[in-house]
Amino acid sequence: MTTKTGDQESPQASSSQGDQLSVKRAPPPETPAALQTRFRVIAAFWAVIIFLGFPIWWKTTSIYRASLPIEEMVDWADGKACRPVFPLDIHLATPSMQSFEAQHLLRTTQHTLDDLNEFAAHHLRLKLTNGTTTAVHNGEDNLEYPAKETADTALTVRLLPQDGLASPWSELHAAATQLDIFYPPSQVPVPSSSNSPLSTFIAAELQQLYGEEKATIAHILSGNTAGLDSTSPQLAEDIDRRLRRSMKYAETYHLSFSLFTPGSEPSSWDIEAAVKEYVSPLLQALSPISNFTVDTQVQLYANFAPTAPKPEYDESEAAWTLKKEGLSAFVNAAEWPLNPSIGNGPTINFILYVPDPSQSPLIVKENRASSWIVPQWGGVFLLNPPLSNTGEQSAPSNPSHLSLDSLGPAFMTFSHQLLTLLGTPSTPASLPLRLQTSIRIRAASLLLSASSTMGSLARLTKSLPSIPIPATVATSVSTTLSHLSASCVHLREGRFGAALASARVAETEAERSFFEKSMVGQVYFPDEHKVAVYLPLLGPIGVPLVVGLLKELKRIAARRKANGAAS
Amino acid sequence: MGTSWNQQPNPHPVMAVDRRKIAVFGAAFVLRLLLTCLFPSLPDLLTGRVEVSTPVNSFKRLQEGLFLYTRNVSPYDGGVFHQAPLLLPLFALLPDAKSWPLPTAIFYFLVDLMNAYALMTISASGQSVKSRLHSAVRKHVRWDGVSVAAWFLFNPLTIATCLARSTSVFTTSGILFAISNAVGGNSINAMLALGFASYLSLYPALLFIPLVLLCYDRRLEGPSPPSAGSFIIQHAILLLASVAGLLGLSCLITGNFWEFISATYGFHLLVPDLTPNVGLWWYFFIEMFDSFREFFLGVFWLHLASYVGGLTARFRSQPLFVITSLLGVFAVFKPYPSISDASLFFALLPLYRHLFPLMRYTFFAGSAILYSSLLGPAFYHLWIYAGSGNANFFYAITLVWSLGLSILLADTIFAALRDEWEQEHPEQVGTEVRQV
Repeated sequence: MTTKTGDQESPQASSSQGDQLSVKRAPPPETPAALQTRFRVIAAFWAVIIFLGFPIWWKTTSIYRASLPIEEMVDWADGKACRPVFPLDIHLATPSMQSFEAQHLLRTTQHTLDDLNEFAAHHLRLKLTNGTTTAVHNGEDNLEYPAKETADTALTVRLLPQDGLASPWSELHAAATQLDIFYPPSQVPVPSSSNSPLSTFIAAELQQLYGEEKATIAHILSGNTAGLDSTSPQLAEDIDRRLRRSMKYAETYHLSFSLFTPGSEPSSWDIEAAVKEYVSPLLQALSPISNFTVDTQVQLYANFAPTAPKPEYDESEAAWTLKKEGLSAFVNAAEWPLNPSIGNGPTINFILYVPDPSQSPLIVKENRASSWIVPQWGGVFLLNPPLSNTGEQSAPSNPSHLSLDSLGPAFMTFSHQLLTLLGTPSTPASLPLRLQTSIRIRAASLLLSASSTMGSLARLTKSLPSIPIPATVATSVSTTLSHLSASCVHLREGRFGAALASARVAETEAERSFFEKSMVGQVYFPDEHKVAVYLPLLGPIGVPLVVGLLKELKRIAARRKANGAAS
Repeated sequence: MGTSWNQQPNPHPVMAVDRRKIAVFGAAFVLRLLLTCLFPSLPDLLTGRVEVSTPVNSFKRLQEGLFLYTRNVSPYDGGVFHQAPLLLPLFALLPDAKSWPLPTAIFYFLVDLMNAYALMTISASGQSVKSRLHSAVRKHVRWDGVSVAAWFLFNPLTIATCLARSTSVFTTSGILFAISNAVGGNSINAMLALGFASYLSLYPALLFIPLVLLCYDRRLEGPSPPSAGSFIIQHAILLLASVAGLLGLSCLITGNFWEFISATYGFHLLVPDLTPNVGLWWYFFIEMFDSFREFFLGVFWLHLASYVGGLTARFRSQPLFVITSLLGVFAVFKPYPSISDASLFFALLPLYRHLFPLMRYTFFAGSAILYSSLLGPAFYHLWIYAGSGNANFFYAITLVWSLGLSILLADTIFAALRDEWEQEHPEQVGTEVRQV
């Protein structure tokens, strides 16, 4: 860059040549014309700098920072903006009771429930219905969640009198959100009494039904540290274990079903029918929570990893066995083509392994199980199909085709594994109830996650004043905040499906705003580095310009002074 | 060198069709023709050299644009072609350069000869030694037009540019004809020619101020001088109108106005292609942090433009010299320089033969330029083909090249200042300069 300064100095240096001549004689004085020319040259350079240089500098180095509602974001992160509550509407159907009896039963049961409840955010609200037939439909409706104004019905409790009972008993429908309670007619509470065995029984049943959900939500809301005081250590550990095993929440999951076999057979399976039969209904039910895509593959000649422990023959079991501690090495991650992710979002792998006929049947040594879950990754099922003997001399072989019937147990297992991997609670027994619980748990965790992302973004923008904040981030933040508050309102009013839908949008937008690429470009660029950027080029150019300007100013000041003294 | 060529300018240009002129032009033509015919691979070799062909003047890229254009596809599709669209119909008239290289080559030879003729006109006007406000001390020390043309035509840089069929020669034509019309007093044609050059390459627009001052000085020598303000404004409007007319024609050709503006002038201004060349920009912008890229683009362009005001103010009495030195500045500091820019600067330098005795570092500058033009291709080969060097090898050589040009430029400016000084202080002629 020395060349540049040379060029620039030349007009100035040479314009001041008046002082440069002659060793002995004093240089002749500069003519006024020369002085004026020098002034013009300096002015020309400085005019370019001031009228073009500074605007360009200002325009190209200023950082656009869209204004973010920092206060509001921090409030969300601190939990000040919203206290998530989970009021569950439970309908009490009393077809064979008098209205006042039912009212009384409702009051006493609600009273008992409130007494039992120690976690205020999650409470059960009993309501009377007079319909007896709507209950079965509710189970279906609840999973679709139209945008209705009323709260979702979590459960319908039907009270049915039954003669000849000593104490009430209950039956939970496995495929509907309905609990039937059979009670001896004598136990209908009389209005005078403040308590009755029936209401106590109902309250206890409900409490037990929602015990795990309550503990899970308390666990999530308290920030994964401590649950409720009353939660048994066993339950707390279960919840913790389940949360650790389940996948991180994603908008889309890719399900990958793979058939692996070490030989050449079986080479086909009724996968389409199996997925349709066993997986699709479940995915349909899970659609409010996430989107799913399904991929399948068949891999023949799939060998174990060389380092994996080989199956051993167990005489007592008459089967080949895998040791429990060796299961982690079962999946040959290096050679089996199991993509870590297909497109955007995590992949859940389900592996159906058909052992070689020489090693069939294959089971797990310790518990004779044929399937296991790989936490946060997927599930494995060992399928031992009946071997066929084609000839007398030849060894028995696997069937070349796996029919839908033979795939049944495997896919039942896979659907259970899918629920577990998605973090669905293990109780109660009713699947619709578990899915509902799952929706509430997801809504709670997404609400918290999006809120804390907002808080992180707010802290980031405050602590790094030099990063740019594009307008898209501001848009995302405002979308997130509006969906967060919508979600909070939906929760408060008991519309959990709508709450989850809002929370999903909030989470997606929050992630998008936090991981905006253009924001992080200058994160590691402190202000001191700017000196190193500007100085090497602008220094050599600037020094002669500044010195020229100073000299000129000095000359003008001196002339002013001289003029003042003369007059 | 060649003081024997010192002659008075021929007072009758019509009679300039003398034997020397025919010999020089003919020899230049025959030399180019021989080089093309004896070494048929030479033009293509030169076309591929980064020193000759830049993204904005490469003949290869022009061929690509031409291919798309003749097939009715937008020539800017594909992001290879970045030259003005009016070149396309012109080259579409010529036979295909791949199968019939000679017609295109001869067309380029003729453009070179025309450029030399324009130089002769400039030389004949004598504006370099004696203008309205200035008269050189050593005006007798000068070369005639034929010698100046010979310097241009036999300059290896000019020959290489011509053989490589770089489209810079048209920009050179525009600039040279603008100057020759300006010194001839034909200010309207000068503005049209400058408009053509600016339309092709954008940067010649910076020559407007010195050129219009040159026209103005010539006009003042004649009868009925106009006022400076209205003269400048009229000519600025003329320049803008000529550029606008050419842009309108281009729009008719390409159809999509913004596409061609962003592919040509946007490409000149934003410098997205960092292919190595003999300039200083490519390496700097490879190294630059992305967030400062726009700022330094502004700095580099302003740096280029800032010389216009300073030099014009200092050499108000010699606008032609301002143009010459600005062309030298462009050869060093413009975004996609090639040796054709240096050859244009070298073409105008012999007009200032009278300054040569005042220059102090000619040996050093000449050595630096020779050294870099010999080592540049070698280091480029080491970097790209042999793989035993890296980008710094070539960049160091381009720095030396720019250093040589800058020294030559600074020395010329020094000599011009010294000349002015001696004119003002005749008693000081011959005294030593001393730095204080």
